Amino acid sequence: MYRLHHDDVRARGPHDEDAFADGPVLGAAASRRAPGNPRPVSRGLGRAAMPPPSLADAMPFTYTSNLSEVRAKVRSYAKRAGLSEARLNDLVIAVSEAAANTVRHARSPGTLDMWHDEHEIVCEIRDQGVITDPLAGKRRPASDALAGHGLWLVHQLCDLVELLSGDSGTTIRMHMTLRGADAEG
Amino acid sequence: MDLLTASVTLVESVGDPYTLVTLAGEADVTNCDALREVLDAEVAKEPRTLVIDLGELRFMDSSALHVLLRANRAMDRHGGVLALARPGETVYRMLRLTAADQLIPVYESVADATAG
Repeated sequence: MYRLHHDDVRARGPHDEDAFADGPVLGAAASRRAPGNPRPVSRGLGRAAMPPPSLADAMPFTYTSNLSEVRAKVRSYAKRAGLSEARLNDLVIAVSEAAANTVRHARSPGTLDMWHDEHEIVCEIRDQGVITDPLAGKRRPASDALAGHGLWLVHQLCDLVELLSGDSGTTIRMHMTLRGADAEG
Repeated sequence: MDLLTASVTLVESVGDPYTLVTLAGEADVTNCDALREVLDAEVAKEPRTLVIDLGELRFMDSSALHVLLRANRAMDRHGGVLALARPGETVYRMLRLTAADQLIPVYESVADATAG
């Protein structure tokens, strides 16, 4: 059901890294908008969300409140992809937090999609919620804060996070580097 | 299917009695209300020491963490102490990343949590 194509290399080149650089791309513009008319957030995905490789044959997993299943699927897929145990735990926490945001904020089910190439594994959470804070997940919440850790944890735990939010919903892509790829640089 | 189970014991020890809440399974946004109810009920009895045994808890997300932080505040308010015991790797990762382990003491065993 999930793609596990070792030859399934996402179109990427050295210059793509810049387009995927993490940062509040629209931060300055967004902060000038009048309150009450918030602008949806786009971070890291650049001009437009690139479709994952061969999305057409993908069968995303739909979740409503079955987050335990989401975690189990991420764990088993990441394990097969060769992610180390420690990073695997981090990815499970991150995806679970992203999916928990669906349960907290989106009045719709969410979907989980996963793919990997030889460099990295990517987990994508989509839902119909809208994130309007351009710094969402970028600020460390006070340790005694009783909310707001979720998206911050996602950013702490993953090697790269892409976030795109618009009227049609939110996409969060969580990237983890696979073994061996670390050593290249 | 119950993803999360919580059992409560009042432990008569040589020293002070303490309340032991043992969690098992996975605690997340979908069941943290139930967890909050259990903890609220115990905190309301104003025990001097409330120990939460996390040894069988396989997973805890930030919503469940917030329930623990909230219980810690409530224990503080009446002068009691909340302690966490036996967190597994994933749960401990969450406690450390959020610095919750700086707010709530974490011990390797229930015995350690109740010693002194």
